Amino acid sequence: MTDLMSGAISYTPSIIANSLMADLQANQSQQATLEQQISTGNAVNVPSDNPAATAEIMQINAGLNRSSQYAANATDGLAWLSLGNSTMNQILSSLQSAQQAVLSVSSASISGNTAAIQSLATQVDSVRQQLTQLANTQYAGQAIFAGTGNVTTAYDSNGNYVGGGSAPTRTVAAGEQIPVAVTGPGVFGTGTTGLLSTTPGSLGVLAQISADLRAGTPASLNQAMTTDLQNLQNAMSQVQSQAAVLGSSYQRMQTFQQQATNAQQALQSQLAGIQSTNLPQAVTDLGQVQNSYQAALWAASKVTQDSLVQFLG
Amino acid sequence: MGDMALGIAASGLDAQQTVMDTIAQNLSNANTPGYVAQTADLSTLTGGGDTLGVGGGVQVTAITQASDGLLAANLQQAQGALSQSTALQQVLSGAQATFAEPGTNGLSAQLSAFWQAWDGIAQNPSALAPRTQVVDTAQNLVTSLSQASSQLAQLQSNAQNQLGSVVSATNTLLAQVAQLNNQIVQAKGAGTDPNALVDQRNALMGTLSSNIGAVATNMPDGTITVRVGGISLVQGASADTLQLSGAPGSLAITSATSKVTVPATGGQASGLLAAINQYLPGYQTQLDTVANQLSTTVNTQLAAGFTATGAAGQPLFTGTGASGLAVNAAVVADPTQIAASSTSTMPDATNNGANAQAMAELYNASTGPDQSYQTFIQGLGAQLQNTNNQVQAQTSVANAAQQNLQAVAGVNPDQEMVHMLSTQQAYQASAKLISTVATMMQSLLASV
Repeated sequence: MTDLMSGAISYTPSIIANSLMADLQANQSQQATLEQQISTGNAVNVPSDNPAATAEIMQINAGLNRSSQYAANATDGLAWLSLGNSTMNQILSSLQSAQQAVLSVSSASISGNTAAIQSLATQVDSVRQQLTQLANTQYAGQAIFAGTGNVTTAYDSNGNYVGGGSAPTRTVAAGEQIPVAVTGPGVFGTGTTGLLSTTPGSLGVLAQISADLRAGTPASLNQAMTTDLQNLQNAMSQVQSQAAVLGSSYQRMQTFQQQATNAQQALQSQLAGIQSTNLPQAVTDLGQVQNSYQAALWAASKVTQDSLVQFLG
Repeated sequence: MGDMALGIAASGLDAQQTVMDTIAQNLSNANTPGYVAQTADLSTLTGGGDTLGVGGGVQVTAITQASDGLLAANLQQAQGALSQSTALQQVLSGAQATFAEPGTNGLSAQLSAFWQAWDGIAQNPSALAPRTQVVDTAQNLVTSLSQASSQLAQLQSNAQNQLGSVVSATNTLLAQVAQLNNQIVQAKGAGTDPNALVDQRNALMGTLSSNIGAVATNMPDGTITVRVGGISLVQGASADTLQLSGAPGSLAITSATSKVTVPATGGQASGLLAAINQYLPGYQTQLDTVANQLSTTVNTQLAAGFTATGAAGQPLFTGTGASGLAVNAAVVADPTQIAASSTSTMPDATNNGANAQAMAELYNASTGPDQSYQTFIQGLGAQLQNTNNQVQAQTSVANAAQQNLQAVAGVNPDQEMVHMLSTQQAYQASAKLISTVATMMQSLLASV
């Protein structure tokens, strides 16, 4: 019962009725609060339930959303990188077939088989064309080797780089940005040591090999087998090193994706700790409040019935 | 001998009947608000023909009310304080309901969606869809902010209307109290019993305390002086009239005659005044701050970037304040005006999303909208929590004050019953005495 002033007090029926009413109302509002906590599963339903926890919940929710965006960024980055890796593998195997072609020049030249040498030249040309196509590989409509300088194209039909800037990055954690590609010049080189140029006077490695094979003179064939082959091998190791860069980016990206997922879980359990109703506690409390409510109702039905009036004949 | 005894016994019957009347009045008003239990004051009647000084019987000198000025004032103050907190609680609950926090539909969730949309641009700077997404989420934010702002304004005008009706109701009550004061003085002058008028006045005072925190002081002439914050509004038969003056922020209740500000320290009026002058304008300001910080944070970052052609872009937000913020029409018409690139060098800017990437990271900037919004919601929650606690505490205080007053001024049927029994016995005894005297007289007459 609500605190009544201690000491001698004359309890009139209206005092008892009022204080019972107040108790019943307090009891009902307690029940309503507990029922809301149980039905929503949230201990904090409005800011006034727990202002500090509300601010914390809002902060954690913002962090959670950010973490899930980091994970989404990493997923997007991984898609870029895995496309990059597989493209690199195709580039390398194409280059290996070009290398094979150059290595087989010597036996063809000894046997004086000019037709064979011409077909090797054609083979090298088709490798170059294939590489130009691979160099323009797109992910979601974006050329992955073009840096930020061109949306759809990294190399034109003459093998000239038309992209620009550095490789795009993805944010995978606060302040952590990982490149999701490498730029064309890094992979394919530039000018005469590059792989793709067909500009006369500044032929790229593959175009030079093809030109030397088609010239067919002993000097040019020798040039193809020595200097050109060396240039080709240098270009290949350049591609390999860039493939390694992509590979390590891929690994980092995976690590951060895992981290973002872990962070999400940690935040979620933190959120649950602050926001979720302690169900056993709430249900027990509700039971207690209901018991005392029933007791108060019983008292209300009893107490005010008896008065001296009944006993006067 | 016989004459005197009969006279004394008759006065006893008379007095006990009056006592019985007061008991009946008490019992029938056991649940009447403002009713104060009455007692018939009995005193010995002197005189009579006896030289030895037996006395002349009993008389009812007055019907007094068991009032206690201190307890009544306590109750008035407690009711005033409770009404004040309850009025404030109602307005603040309305303000809290405006913001669906913490939850997935509130402004904070919309802010998150807005920041995340920038990562979409970073992932595909040349595509239109993610840019449209940024514009859409920005428009959602603008709509929510202006809705919240107009809801706060609505609460403000509702509170003002309510205050207006409280003040006019108070004016009526003040006039009624003054009128009752006058009637009580007149009744006393005419020698009639003013108790029923006093009960009515008590009931009016209860409402006045709840409305404006008025406190009554009993005056020797039977009138009460009604004061609010030390300023007397009813004195004797004259009542002051209250009116509202000033603009929201400095709205005040003033006396219509003296133009003096009446400092409402309790009652519904005081709670509403606090909401109108202090709480709601404060919330509006904080919401405006959130809107301005959103605009400044985003536009500043955009000013550092460039479009895909290397040109400076357009700001995303225009206007200021929660109700004035808008999404730049130029960007809505052409989302490529969003400066997503961090460089103006061509062709590097063509497919550059680094500035959009930097924007997404501003979700928890210390001067950004998210943090000030969180602080705002926490402050609002704390103020409402505090008010809720006050209402709870003041409810028990008011209940206790009510009970304390009831214990003195209320009607206890058990006590009344006991009183009734003793009165009945006294009446029977007096009646018996009359019949005994009659018997004595008969014996005397028979012996003659």
